[in-house]
Amino acid sequence: MFSLRSCGLWVAASLTKKRLTLARFSGDSAAPLATKFDVIVIGGGHAGTEAAAAAARCGSRTLLLTHRVDTIGQMSCNPSFGGIGKGHLMREVDALDGLCSRICDQSGVHYKVLNRRKGPAVWGLRAQIDRKLYKQNMQKEILSTPLLAVQEGAVEDLILTEPEPEHPGKCRVSGVVLADGSTIHAECVVLTTGTFLRGVIVIGLEMHPAGRLGDQPSVGLAQTLEKLGFVVGRLKTGTPPRIAKESINFSILNKQTPDNPSIPFSFINETVWIKPEDQLPCYLTHTNPKVDEIVLDNLHLNSHIKETTRGPRYCPSIESKVLRFPNRLHQVWLEPEGMDSDLIYPQGLSVTLPAELQEKMIKCIKGLENAKMIQPGYGVQYDYLDPRQITPSLETHLVQRLFFAGQINGTTGYEEAAAQGVIAGINASLRVKRKPPFVVSRTEGYIGVLIDDLTTLGTNEPYRMFTSRAEFRLSLRPDNADSRLTLRGHKEVGCVSQQRYERASWMKSSLEEGISVLKSIELSSSKWKKLIPEASISIDKSLPLRALDVLKYEEVDMKLLATAVPEPLKKYTECKELAERLKIEASYESVLFHQQQQIKEVQQDEALQLPKDLDYLTLRDVSLSYEVREKLHFIRPETIGAAGRIPGVTPAAIINLLRFVKTTQQRQVALNHLPNTHQSLRDTEELEQRQL
Amino acid sequence: MREVFPRRRERRERKLGDGRETWRVPRTQNPRLSQLLLSETNRVWPQTLQSAHPPAAWLSTSGISRPSSTLSTCHSCHKGIPDALILLLSSPRPCMRQGSGVPGASSGATIFALSSGQGRCGIAVIRTSGPASGHALRSLTAPRDLPPARSACLRLLSHPRSGEPLDRALVLWFPGPQSFTGEDCAEFHVHGGPAVVSGVLQALGSVPGLRPAEAGEFTRRAFAHGKLSLTEVEGLADLIHAETEAQRRQALRQLDGELGHLCHGWAKTLTKALAHVEAYIDFGEDDNLEEGVLERGGSLKGWGHLASQPLEVPSLHPLHLLASTANSEVRELELALGAHLRDARRGQRLRSGAHVVVAGPPNAGKSSLVNLLSRKPVSIVSPEPGTTRDVLETPVDLAGFPALLSDTAGLREGAGPVEQEGVRRARERLEQADLILAVLDASELASPSSCNFLDTVVAPTVAGSPSGDSQRLLLLLNKSDLLPPGGLDPSPNLPPHLLLSCLTGEGLDGLLEALRKELAEVCGDPSTGPPLLTRARHQHHLQGCLDALGHYAKTRDLALAAEALRLARGHLARITGGGGTEEILDVIFRDFCVGK
Repeated sequence: MFSLRSCGLWVAASLTKKRLTLARFSGDSAAPLATKFDVIVIGGGHAGTEAAAAAARCGSRTLLLTHRVDTIGQMSCNPSFGGIGKGHLMREVDALDGLCSRICDQSGVHYKVLNRRKGPAVWGLRAQIDRKLYKQNMQKEILSTPLLAVQEGAVEDLILTEPEPEHPGKCRVSGVVLADGSTIHAECVVLTTGTFLRGVIVIGLEMHPAGRLGDQPSVGLAQTLEKLGFVVGRLKTGTPPRIAKESINFSILNKQTPDNPSIPFSFINETVWIKPEDQLPCYLTHTNPKVDEIVLDNLHLNSHIKETTRGPRYCPSIESKVLRFPNRLHQVWLEPEGMDSDLIYPQGLSVTLPAELQEKMIKCIKGLENAKMIQPGYGVQYDYLDPRQITPSLETHLVQRLFFAGQINGTTGYEEAAAQGVIAGINASLRVKRKPPFVVSRTEGYIGVLIDDLTTLGTNEPYRMFTSRAEFRLSLRPDNADSRLTLRGHKEVGCVSQQRYERASWMKSSLEEGISVLKSIELSSSKWKKLIPEASISIDKSLPLRALDVLKYEEVDMKLLATAVPEPLKKYTECKELAERLKIEASYESVLFHQQQQIKEVQQDEALQLPKDLDYLTLRDVSLSYEVREKLHFIRPETIGAAGRIPGVTPAAIINLLRFVKTTQQRQVALNHLPNTHQSLRDTEELEQRQL
Repeated sequence: MREVFPRRRERRERKLGDGRETWRVPRTQNPRLSQLLLSETNRVWPQTLQSAHPPAAWLSTSGISRPSSTLSTCHSCHKGIPDALILLLSSPRPCMRQGSGVPGASSGATIFALSSGQGRCGIAVIRTSGPASGHALRSLTAPRDLPPARSACLRLLSHPRSGEPLDRALVLWFPGPQSFTGEDCAEFHVHGGPAVVSGVLQALGSVPGLRPAEAGEFTRRAFAHGKLSLTEVEGLADLIHAETEAQRRQALRQLDGELGHLCHGWAKTLTKALAHVEAYIDFGEDDNLEEGVLERGGSLKGWGHLASQPLEVPSLHPLHLLASTANSEVRELELALGAHLRDARRGQRLRSGAHVVVAGPPNAGKSSLVNLLSRKPVSIVSPEPGTTRDVLETPVDLAGFPALLSDTAGLREGAGPVEQEGVRRARERLEQADLILAVLDASELASPSSCNFLDTVVAPTVAGSPSGDSQRLLLLLNKSDLLPPGGLDPSPNLPPHLLLSCLTGEGLDGLLEALRKELAEVCGDPSTGPPLLTRARHQHHLQGCLDALGHYAKTRDLALAAEALRLARGHLARITGGGGTEEILDVIFRDFCVGK
């Protein structure tokens, strides 16, 4: 029988724990350990670390509270970061000076950009990551971040006080109560509890309460949230078994080698820490009918599958693959867990059968005939909070100054969690400083798409980012995330380092300059043909061709163009990244022009804000159906644009809301423009009224 | 346009009062007809007329830059929001949120719509609003300069692509912000016939940057630009509700028919193709779209495959199969759409008149019928067979429908060379006819020429499919006055027919009623609803869809290809509804086993 104690993960974690026995760790040794913080972040996963670091970068005294310090930065599922859509998110997190991209550049063992042949808008940066290295590097980063303190402890409850009258919400969070009864006060609290809210691990028919294999779930906190009136749902996910590396016969399997050169995740890195030739390969194998047979014969031993809780449609367990798509071969990637790890992660083999049947199933697979299972796969069921209960700044509608980020909002994946973490951390810090929130719109980034989808549409399965979710995919590319977000992050929030800011603004202005230079060079097509014989330029066009149009040809890059027209183009080939980005901008130029127009239209909707304290249920001057009122009341859209995206909110309702907003806006403008004399007049009027 | 009025009409030039426009009009023998052509015409124009308005050449000389392609009107992002609202919500005012950097300039597409009521009326007003209004006005009226602001000018409107004249109309130019919507606006006061209105709407739809307005969109733009006060807009929500409701009902009615099935079928195909391309982008490599799934379109490989031969390297997996399935589907769709658009003949007929050809054996009374129907002596009538030797055309109003009535030579063999040429032309014209009026002498049904005509012309046409675009035929037995009192001999071989006497006028009412029914089929009946407007919309969006599919075929960057499909789907979604991201993801997850 399998025992929790025997799993490699657990042992490794226990060993580390002995090293770190301090109760509280401060990254900023100069700062005294305060009992009151600006921001408390609960949870040290991918959302928690980003949130804590972002809040600290913004200048808030921050405390990261976690069950165990040694699990900070733990990659609890797959040993990889990035992918299609997810790589986009990582670039955006990096553009806001987040951690995960930089840590991945220091911890990867196999870097590969996906979709290389499908156009730069959908390139997916991805890497196999060494779990141990990632955790180490992340902990090093967290523990050395100025203003950021770390403490071990289980949060049992939230301290709630009277709400601020100028904001909506029925109460305000002002700190946390730990399991030992002690309290810590803070201005804002960010909750990133992942799968720990009433988490249950399922293997076969056995169920253990746990957040992650070997970690206790948070039950008290779940009860508190439910008592406060949060709508709670339940989701499930799973992870595959781990296999001993030396027991696999790799020689008969297909090998995948990493990219050469490796493309780093972070804008500030020229290269990654490891040379391509030192990186580890991945291997591919497939399931077969015997696997189907074992799964189908043992469904009665599989309580995770029987449950009605929704699992992801796109990261299904082998059981649901077999049930939904029978008689198929399913791919299994054998991925390294790290440089010196003797574990292999069989991606695609997520399973919740009893442990001995898992091992039997594994041994049916090609290359795994003699495989030794070190840790069985398991399912996790956990509570999530309906994300329509939070604002685009990730603060809850119900409790002021309480922020949710990560899996608690119904998402899946490290990158989705990290993206929310950065936004929650930034906004918690801004809230403390009483500054307006930092919201990324759908037109500005995948982060915006993610948060807008969650907060206006909600989700009933673990939400994962796809590029198809972004309507402005051609504008929101991995290559230009810095132009989209770094400058905003620096100007509006101050969460971006000066070095990164300077780099991004240099790049942005160089790109703009380069594009206008490319537009200004005009030659006849026959002349271009002579200059660049490699390009398949058709010479029947009599109109002159801009250099930018020539750069659109697949065969042409900046280098080639600069050999044809050295002056003034040569200087744009000196920086390789700039040259590549100019090429990308050129190939999308014509479509981007139209997309920019659409973006403008959407942004104009987004600019029309709905007052936050609007009581939709009792609003008198606006004619709205009760159904629409209820929806608006629950979701509380911040803008007319967001209101329009809520299913069931009718065009007529939007018009009425718009009318309402315009009236309020006009009143506001009229008030602001009252000259000072009028102001004093009003004062006297008030006085008179009082006397009356 | 084929050449008409070959012999009897000549052209003359006319100058308009302002001396700026010159165009040619055909002169007919009939002054009333000439008047008709001037005022209402969009029906019959000689070929040479078109060259008087070279379609696009002047565009470049007049210094107007054409946008490279039509403005995109796909707003797939607005999952729940009707597209109309996007424009409604566009406000040029500074926004409340900081740092969003929205410029105050008016943005978005230029819209057009029929602003007066639908149906037949004396004058119809068509309005445009948006930045491309001036361009549209110039595109339709041809002069380099816009008319003076806010004063009525008489202009000849012609189709910007084909150069085909549409109507002589009053046009007004309202440069923004002093206009109803606050944007640049243009008004076209055209003659109220449905043919003219649909012609002008289609012409506007073909101008780059213009699209049909959504319900209430003019009012909403006016509101957004602060041209309507809040109290004035009180009723707007109700109005929009009513309009969207009407539009929905209208769309339902429209989509009930053949076109609806077609559009839904196309939308489904396109959604699937897009889903497959999106799946290929999002899951092709990262989440390994699996081999069995990819070969849905082709042969599904059996289990033995794995054992017998080694699999390819993952990056070389036959993922392209997926895209190739999508490619072939898109190609088929493109062909179907193209065929449909080319075959937009019904609207064409309503605009230019249905071709009604009178045919039959010699001396059956064809010319008499033509003269009777046109109420004027178009053809010479004599008791001598073979009097009519050429095709004679006359535009007439048949039971309320515009029609081009052609009298043809009697079909017979073995006459002189001149008459043979006439017979050849008659046969040629028969092939192009929308409606054939087959005329036989009721008293001579047994004659060889009658039998021959029945066998070679009437029978094959009647046997052709009765629906769709095939030719229609009315069999008329003339000279009923010559029949014996017992009436027609019962003849089992005779298809359904009408008895008529051109001499006494007996049976004419029945003929007109039958003509009305037939022409309603051929042209589409404008009195049964708003198909004209929706047809213009359909055509606009179908064309947009087709253009986007063309881009899909050309591009090699898959992200751009998917964008083209998204755009195409957005256009179809305007006709059929739907189109959210979730719909695509549903197809992806239904069709593919993606996941780690």
